[in-house]
Amino acid sequence: MRDLIRPDTFVGLRLPSDAIQVVRVVPNTSISIGKYGSFYANHIIGRPYHLTFEVLDKSDTSPAQSGLRIVSASELYADLRDGEASTPSESNDLGVAEGNSGVEYELVGEDGEVVLRTNRAIIDDSSTQTMTMAQIEALKAECTGSGRDLIQKILGSHIALDQKTAFALAKYTLRKTKKYLRSFTVLPVDVPLLAHWILTDKEPIKIMELREETLALMGSLLNLHCTAIHSEPNGHGSGIGSGRWLLIDETSGLLAASTAEKIGVLNQPKALVPSIVNDEHEQANSDADDTATASHSIAQPFKPPRIHSSSSLAYLNTITVIHANSQPNLSLLKYFEFDHANPSPSHPLCRHLKTLSWLQLLAPEDDLAYTEPDTFPNETIQSWKSGRRGNYYRKRRRWERIKSIVDETRAGGFDGLMIATGMDLATVLHHTVPLLRGGAQVVIYSPTVEPLVEISDYYSLGRRTAFITDPPEPGSMPTEDFPLDPTLLLAATIHTVKCRPWQVLPGRTHPLMTGRGSSEGYIFTATRVLPAEGKIEARGNFKRRRVNDGNGSRGSEIVEQTLEPIGRELGEGDGTNIS
Amino acid sequence: MATDSLPPSAPPRTSPFLTPGSHSSASSLSILHLRRDQHTPVILQPSSSPSDGYIEGPVTNTRFGSFPHSTLINQPWGSQIRASEVDTGSRGRKGWEGKGKKRKRGSDEIADEVRPETEEEVEGTRKAIKTSATGFVHILSPTPELWTSSLPHRTQVVYTPDYSYILHRLRARPGSVIIEAGAGSGSFTHAAARAVFDGYPALSIQDEGIQTNASAEPALPGKQNGKVYSFEFHEQRCTALQSEIKDHGLEGIVELTHRDVCTEGFTISNSPPIHASAIFLDLPAPWLALKHLTRRIRRKSLDPSANPEPTTPLTPNPVLHPSLPIHICTFSPCIEQVTRTISTLRSHGWLDISMVELSAKKIETRRERVGLQEEGLRGVNASAANVEEAVERLREVEGRTRWFHEMEARKEKEQEQERDGAEAKKDGEPDDMVKGEMEKENDTVNGKEKEKYTSKASRLASIASRLPTRKLYKEGRLVHRPEPELKMHTSYLVFAIFPREWSDEDEKEAERVWGGREAADRRGGVEEGGELGGSGGGRKEEKRMSKRQRRKEAKRRKDADGGKVEVDGEKTDVESRGN
Repeated sequence: MRDLIRPDTFVGLRLPSDAIQVVRVVPNTSISIGKYGSFYANHIIGRPYHLTFEVLDKSDTSPAQSGLRIVSASELYADLRDGEASTPSESNDLGVAEGNSGVEYELVGEDGEVVLRTNRAIIDDSSTQTMTMAQIEALKAECTGSGRDLIQKILGSHIALDQKTAFALAKYTLRKTKKYLRSFTVLPVDVPLLAHWILTDKEPIKIMELREETLALMGSLLNLHCTAIHSEPNGHGSGIGSGRWLLIDETSGLLAASTAEKIGVLNQPKALVPSIVNDEHEQANSDADDTATASHSIAQPFKPPRIHSSSSLAYLNTITVIHANSQPNLSLLKYFEFDHANPSPSHPLCRHLKTLSWLQLLAPEDDLAYTEPDTFPNETIQSWKSGRRGNYYRKRRRWERIKSIVDETRAGGFDGLMIATGMDLATVLHHTVPLLRGGAQVVIYSPTVEPLVEISDYYSLGRRTAFITDPPEPGSMPTEDFPLDPTLLLAATIHTVKCRPWQVLPGRTHPLMTGRGSSEGYIFTATRVLPAEGKIEARGNFKRRRVNDGNGSRGSEIVEQTLEPIGRELGEGDGTNIS
Repeated sequence: MATDSLPPSAPPRTSPFLTPGSHSSASSLSILHLRRDQHTPVILQPSSSPSDGYIEGPVTNTRFGSFPHSTLINQPWGSQIRASEVDTGSRGRKGWEGKGKKRKRGSDEIADEVRPETEEEVEGTRKAIKTSATGFVHILSPTPELWTSSLPHRTQVVYTPDYSYILHRLRARPGSVIIEAGAGSGSFTHAAARAVFDGYPALSIQDEGIQTNASAEPALPGKQNGKVYSFEFHEQRCTALQSEIKDHGLEGIVELTHRDVCTEGFTISNSPPIHASAIFLDLPAPWLALKHLTRRIRRKSLDPSANPEPTTPLTPNPVLHPSLPIHICTFSPCIEQVTRTISTLRSHGWLDISMVELSAKKIETRRERVGLQEEGLRGVNASAANVEEAVERLREVEGRTRWFHEMEARKEKEQEQERDGAEAKKDGEPDDMVKGEMEKENDTVNGKEKEKYTSKASRLASIASRLPTRKLYKEGRLVHRPEPELKMHTSYLVFAIFPREWSDEDEKEAERVWGGREAADRRGGVEEGGELGGSGGGRKEEKRMSKRQRRKEAKRRKDADGGKVEVDGEKTDVESRGN
């Protein structure tokens, strides 16, 4: 998947301006990269990712299409070498096509020794650049190459260039390079790239402004991982499978994609060259699942054998998405060749991604799709026209799929719950937390901290104590005082993480001057636990204080295992023998 | 550590980190959650194992009580476990066997209460364990996060926000092979193992006699399961980590080698090539290790003193994956290390070099109560909640002062009068009347004042008495703030990518298959004209033709050429059916 650029896949193009453009590489078409020009798709198909291509002069051979040239690493770093002890370059071992243009930024190279120059003599004036906008435009029009000579000319016509400090000069060069150099780097479209691209270039609101580092941390905190088949002596035995993850995803499918990537069901096994396939394993895996689900579904009547592959659902490593509208919004999955409305049966997500609506979860009887379509005896079906018969089978198939998803979801036992939604979290958790197995993690993302603060207050120690001391009537939940059962989640914590990028250049290392503000991104985590039956009292509080408090001890001190040292106050145990 | 006393029996068959099952089990790691951010890792041992003198079998003592392992084994994950009454006092002494018995006879009653079945020392007794009145823990399945927060520190640890971001950027996914150098305390090792896990290697599982299945068996040639190759140059740390890996059932997934990678490189002799696609270097001088990570290396000469002959052909480096891009991350706390690393990375031809630092924090939420009704309570701000309350309190204080002064004045007056009275005693009766009136007046004033101005003691008492009826968990303002101790800096993360090797020949081949510039020129246009230079492109075109189109095409040819092409047409049909 990540080795060579395949036809008809999405790729990311990083432009000199650091902007990213995601395009589909359709063979025999031309791809435009805006002001940097355009190129022919077949020129990058079959090449490796992460290479930088330079758009070549279109005049020399072909009038219509410009060619591409691979830029070698040594060339990319040519203007950075000053100030560095030049180490013997091993980049020749790379074996990439050596560049032949030989254009160098000599002005930068010469300036290495002038370190102490300052900007005190420089007069801020736009007249230092002698070329006018019109002239540059004209040059651009006639210049057909990669743009290096244009940049060179612009630099050359700057009359105060020799007054610039090395830093200012580097900045100026970089700025002009970003503006006029016609090159791009091809990147594979995976979840990190997609998250980065949508956040910075496309529509951050679509993914609830979810930052990359936050997304990464969420996966870890959720304990997301691939589950392999193993014998499970104490297993549920209910046949609901393992490695099941429950999602409430309003990030257009980014959470789903990230989850799928981390459990290994995101990418379609497809080979450009048949020898290198990363996903053969997945194929084998799904075959195994097939047998598992097949044996499971044999009992169901009127199931024509040909339906099997498309309707059977995976047993391991599955994602269940609960959605608020009648259809889930998982549009970002299209970048991974998966269309939820019309899934291709060969895509692993077709079997590993299960979706259901809140209505189907909470009141399946009210949902038409959950009610079983009428059944007919085999002879009747045989007598039908093929269209009607197909329709009949399709309906049954759909019903079977929905019913199996709904029943399985309602049976619970999920390994983790990940939420990113604008809905009221208390109501979401009220219905989903009971579906988790003990020890499962709950991870909630919010662009702002307030909703998470509110939730963690519902699980506060004081509230839990009050709940245990005086539990509300069973069945009366949620009450005003207890919107959620505080005993079901342990150690509710809010995390936030922020990534600060740096510029590292010889002698010019510092954090980037500007960055993305707006939402910081917060993560709520907690562990689903199974409270012990009956009243339970904590240890670790001073008896003395309880007496002092006299009229009923402070709530938080009964259940809380308080921060005070207990040591010898306890009659037994020294409390220090932690193995 | 409890690991020391682990019986030398078979290692755990599967890892509790990756496939924890639904219940805790013997000889397997579980985590006891004592309190927020306080966890104790315990390897649960069956009652038959050496118990360190406890009659209950192996016991874990915590500050919240003692927990015999028999109460922890085979519990659903996430269960709340009550502490048990365990006699920790007598068994630790020297010669416990003798003295303990003696002592027990002396205090029979207490002993009987604590452990009613002391006499039967054998197996059966151990199940009768009395639950303690207070104290509990939660038993959790281990996750890399819990392990990171509870592992024995041997070095600086890579914490959760850092490792999750690193693994995200390194594209560590199920099935990836990752190299980690500088394993240290093993925090990153565990997280990496989780990220790349996609099944247990077949060998070890077959040894254990577990039923295997397709997903766990690398039956496909050339396909390797996800794996972590870990290196540590400190022998003691290496040994400690090796035993942890064994105890945690990660043996097939993590391969630990004791070595200094800076001098000796990464190649493991007598084992298949590593073919890693991700590298994590947590070394003091990561730049020294980079020379071993080039795409091509000169085969080592047997004689170390002899320089490798320049004529020796370069061979592909077995450490790196031959076709995937290699992602690297180095983890260094100091900026000087970063600049050196980056300069070396550049000279070796690594691309997309970037450096970031992460700042992560946890956020606490609490109810902040302010007001005079909090006077005398612990941990709250007992100042006035608002201006009105302040004014009222001031008025009260003022009133009390005034009353005090009035009383003083009155007392003085009284005394004066008394003196006067004594002087005027002879004068006769009227004084008594005045005195009586005064007293009456005093009484009424006192009573009224007492009603109005309560003493501090009685005020505190009434606040305390009201406390139990208050719902403190929903009073006050809900606030949030970062935890008291922040990690301001962990390390700088340097990322870079090494694309797949791409030679001129490769480029020519790709051009031939996909149609390079020449082909484009020949085509002349973009979308029109099905003819493509090169067989691959042509094949592609053919594939895209639908059945119907083919039939049409065949018919067209048939019409044009008569009988001869009929064969052609049929052939096409057969081909299409084959597809």
